[in-house]
Amino acid sequence: MSIVRPRPIVPGDRRARRLSLWLALATLLLLIVSIGIGYAPLDIFKALQDGLAGRDSLESIVLVELRLPRALLGALVGFALGLTGAAMQGLLRNPLADPGVLGVSAAAAFGAVLAFYSGLSLLVPLALPLGGLAGALVATGLVYGIAGRGAGTMALILAGVALSSLCGALTALALNLSPNPYAAIEIIYWLMGSLADRSLDHVWLVLGPIALGTALILSTAPALDALTLGEDSAASLGFDLARLRLKLVVGAALVVGSAVAVSGAIGFIGLVVPHLVRPLTGHRPGRLLLPSGLAGAVLLLGADILVRLLPVRPELKLGVVTALIGAPFLFWLIWRLRRTG
Amino acid sequence: MLMRSFAGLLAALVAAGPAAAGATGSSRMEGPARRVVSLNLCTDEMVLRLLPPERVAAVTWLSRDPSRSTVADLAAAVPVVYGNAEEVLGVDPDLIVAGLYTARSTVAVLRRLGHPVHDVGIPTTEAEVEAQIRELAALLGVAESGERLVAEIEARFSALPIPAPGPRPRALVLDPNGFTVGRGSIVDAMINRAGLDNAGAALAVAGHGAVPLEVAILTGADILIVDADRDRPPALATALLQHPALRRLGRRITVAEVPSRLWTCAGPGLADAAAILAAAALAHQAATPVAGEGRP
Repeated sequence: MSIVRPRPIVPGDRRARRLSLWLALATLLLLIVSIGIGYAPLDIFKALQDGLAGRDSLESIVLVELRLPRALLGALVGFALGLTGAAMQGLLRNPLADPGVLGVSAAAAFGAVLAFYSGLSLLVPLALPLGGLAGALVATGLVYGIAGRGAGTMALILAGVALSSLCGALTALALNLSPNPYAAIEIIYWLMGSLADRSLDHVWLVLGPIALGTALILSTAPALDALTLGEDSAASLGFDLARLRLKLVVGAALVVGSAVAVSGAIGFIGLVVPHLVRPLTGHRPGRLLLPSGLAGAVLLLGADILVRLLPVRPELKLGVVTALIGAPFLFWLIWRLRRTG
Repeated sequence: MLMRSFAGLLAALVAAGPAAAGATGSSRMEGPARRVVSLNLCTDEMVLRLLPPERVAAVTWLSRDPSRSTVADLAAAVPVVYGNAEEVLGVDPDLIVAGLYTARSTVAVLRRLGHPVHDVGIPTTEAEVEAQIRELAALLGVAESGERLVAEIEARFSALPIPAPGPRPRALVLDPNGFTVGRGSIVDAMINRAGLDNAGAALAVAGHGAVPLEVAILTGADILIVDADRDRPPALATALLQHPALRRLGRRITVAEVPSRLWTCAGPGLADAAAILAAAALAHQAATPVAGEGRP
């Protein structure tokens, strides 16, 4: 599909780096806007003063325990989804791959549901996100075990699809068996994705896994670039494809598992963002990774600001908003593919 | 027993069944109903408190759950139904008492089949509670039981401690899923009855409404009213109450735990709920030695 041109490495890399810088600035700006926006008027400066002085005023509690974690999680989750979406599209060489393609999202959701409604949440306060993370990691082991170390991309995708539907069924089973009659409704809402009323505990919980997963994924950039030439060519260039898959699968599990665990399943960001950024970076999947993650952060922060500005209460779920924005884009993408293809 | 049924028959002959005035299809009834079915948790509570068990044909299964119902012990002595029309027809009632907003499709079927149904609304004030009890008691032909129940409720209300002088503490209900209670509900009435101001009323919430946690915190309420039923199965709805931001409010806020069964329905439980709130108000005022000093 793609034509390999002679490599003008330096200008392209510089352009991608400049793009990343702008996107990082935009993320920072939106972080500040996100902290400034809320449901109640808040004297930010008084809150900041009290917070820095260690005074527990109502304003500083709202700023530190509610607004700050919400903004930080928006950036982290958006980054996670954008980054993994780009990585998966690069690995599978398929423009329709999304972060959940390997079954990680469904497994994280199942882990969270199981941890919560089994009553584990009564013993461990953060049972829900911890369960989500555990589910994602177990799923990774399974996918990798099923697909096998030497198996190709196709086996990996099929294992992911099988795992997704199995986890979906198990989630439904767990909800059927839950003693709480409202469990199904609660979890359907939860899965639509939201950042409302999260806490700093959630931030601390996912910071480590997301950082580790990001490092793993970013380290695959050269191999992903080589992969555009085809699996055989990449292997002949000296890249160990089995190792590449392992790194990406584990990285995706850490990053997406964390994202789903704290915010539910927020769709479309991971699918759409790489397509938005790709024209700006050139068609090199390795170069796409970091800008795509940052653009994901920008988009999710924007969507989260939007749900708070819209006059709909209780606020719309993030997954609903991102899908409403993302779906028309996907139609446009298909339309464009039809014209070129 | 014989005397009562005789008296009932007499009353029916003399007044042509005035007690059945509120029910539709009263042609089937001769005198006060002898087999009453209740289809709503709140009407269960009233029917069980007003009638002897032999006149209660069935109540809902919810009434046997002690975490939801204040009359679980009374409900254990009578049959239960799950709200299907078939079950209700099976116990052959001569009066069905239902909530105005619940089991409507069942009620519609029963009405179509010619069964008398009496609907009971949701009271929002103490006076409405008492009126509702008196009305149902009159319909059931047990006006004196109704008066006894009303007197018991009034006695419990008059036993409430007198609020301390000074500004009324402000209380905010934080129900599962971040719902709070505004004006125009029995909960609001009980908060005021206990000598508290309802901070939820200032949020322009009518009845029940969701409030974001940051709004709840910035109201600066002195007392947080939460549902006390901790033995329920785990729910995401209650996870919000574990939020660190609420924990950090620490001692500046007094938490009052009111089991929701106390103030879901018209009954003596309302006064118990008000008593818990009044105690919390006194505890809060005791913890704040000089009025106004506790808050910036």
